[in-house]
Amino acid sequence: MKAVQRKMFYLFSPFLRIFHWIMVDAIIVMFVTGILIAKPPEINALEPAQSMLLVNIIRQIHFLAAFGFCASFVFRVYGFIINKGDRLFPRFWEGHFYSETVDVALHYMFLRKAHKSYLRNPLARMSYFGLYVLVLIEVLTGFAMYNMSEPNAIGGLMFGWVNTVLGGEMMTHIVHHFTAWAIVLFASGHLYMVTRAEFMEGESEVSSMFSGSKILAHDPLDAKELE
Amino acid sequence: MFISFVTIKGGKNVEKRETMWEAYLRRGFSRRTFLKGCVALTSLMGLSTDMLDKVVEAAETKPLPVVIWMHGHECTGCDESFIRSASPLASDLVLTNIALEYDHLLSAACGEPFEQHLEETVKKYYGQYILAVEGAVSTTNNGTYCMSGGKPFVDNLQHVAKGAAAIIAYGSCAAYGGIQAAKPNPTGSAGISHYVGTKQVINVPGCPPIPEVMTGVVMHVALFGKLPTLDSDGRPRQFYGNRIHDTCYRRPFFDAGMFADHFDDAGAKAGWCLYKLGCRGPETYNSCGNLRWWQGMSYPIQSGAPCIGCANANFWDSGACFSERLPKYGPLPDVDIIGAGLAAASVVGVAAHGALSVVQRHERDKAEAKENEGKEQVAGK
Repeated sequence: MKAVQRKMFYLFSPFLRIFHWIMVDAIIVMFVTGILIAKPPEINALEPAQSMLLVNIIRQIHFLAAFGFCASFVFRVYGFIINKGDRLFPRFWEGHFYSETVDVALHYMFLRKAHKSYLRNPLARMSYFGLYVLVLIEVLTGFAMYNMSEPNAIGGLMFGWVNTVLGGEMMTHIVHHFTAWAIVLFASGHLYMVTRAEFMEGESEVSSMFSGSKILAHDPLDAKELE
Repeated sequence: MFISFVTIKGGKNVEKRETMWEAYLRRGFSRRTFLKGCVALTSLMGLSTDMLDKVVEAAETKPLPVVIWMHGHECTGCDESFIRSASPLASDLVLTNIALEYDHLLSAACGEPFEQHLEETVKKYYGQYILAVEGAVSTTNNGTYCMSGGKPFVDNLQHVAKGAAAIIAYGSCAAYGGIQAAKPNPTGSAGISHYVGTKQVINVPGCPPIPEVMTGVVMHVALFGKLPTLDSDGRPRQFYGNRIHDTCYRRPFFDAGMFADHFDDAGAKAGWCLYKLGCRGPETYNSCGNLRWWQGMSYPIQSGAPCIGCANANFWDSGACFSERLPKYGPLPDVDIIGAGLAAASVVGVAAHGALSVVQRHERDKAEAKENEGKEQVAGK
């Protein structure tokens, strides 16, 4: 066996990593509690009538996770400001981004043997942008429902328009629920792709979200962007 | 927004209009009855008792407001609701609190003289009368699907609305188009607000609205000469400021997780929360939870029927069946089952992709090894 030379690239600030794991926890909590709120399980009434499922408490947990998640975005933005490795959005305005995305996509479709080496997998970046859109929809519809218990307070005035745009508050509930499922589908794909990249391609996608560094055997094309 | 109801004491129109107090006197009511009426009105309008003085003063000095009540594309159910108002009694309201000049349902007159009276009223009280509208406007084919007095209703409305001091849209039809605006909306039914110019319309949605809300709103405009505080949707805040869910007496059952799962189960019998049976209380703004109907006797949820959200815009196309929380698409189940199915499919998909990736990598490694071998041999020679 030939020894492989590997290089370390520091990419993700602790703030991004903290945000990432808060997001993971919050999404799991919010999905489970959200499903319980939308469809409380049957309790098959017995006497004395009581339920182990306290919807009020479940709703409070859901709201707590939501506020925690939104607040944790501060970490993400702070990391973006202080660290070059943190990026909020893919660089849509750079032409090579598209050809690189196609390069990776063709590889994942088994039409290419391998894709070139990147610090930031452009296809993954694209999917994270998609996740941000989904999360934004969840945040807007979530606050629109939450704040409308007092429509004329500041929260109602800030988010009430969402209900109007969607054509009624019932639609807001439905959109919120559907988008939650879309996030679950994203998560299953994401989980697979990062595991695959870590253990099959040696792209340290999983470990870098703990350590912040990627250890790569090849010189990535976008290594210069860190300088 | 202030509207002046000018008492005309001289000049061309020599008619002196009665005040509410004078109307009471004419009918032989005592001062005590009058004050009791004022107290009832004050609480009905959602005002604090501090405001009683102002209500009495207005009732003594302001001439009875002229009201023109028009009916459009609708079922007259709102009028049916209105005449069941108990406090104040609708009869009191019509006979002593307002001067109702035109109303299709309540007028004894009919035909040409009746339409002529409308014309005269519009001319005489131009800029002063309150216009109450029940029913949507039909817009397809120049509005020929809703005719009144030989003219499309939309034309009548535009004509009368020009001179109105205040416009009240009674019912979900006048506010949002009503159930006849449900897809595909063949008659082009729409709410009146776009057909009355730039005037602010007071939306009083509901199918029908609560009787006391109807009388409360018109009395507020009549007595104070200004619109009640409205929300962003043009609804009076004192009646539409809260969700039914947030004022529902069954809310504790929701919080405790006690739900009726079917219309005939023990939970339904025990009066538990109807959320799982599609109740729209969490999305609907109305006073059903606090005012209730028929003198506070009951309201749909109290009677065991989930709220259908009749005071909401587009409640007829709200996305899901009235007895379901989530929409279903033809033979397909709801999104939770579809979502779980898709998630399972994605797991199978990534497993297959993973297997193929292993094969691909294996072949790549083999090819690389061969290449390296070739190179080493070359270097060895």
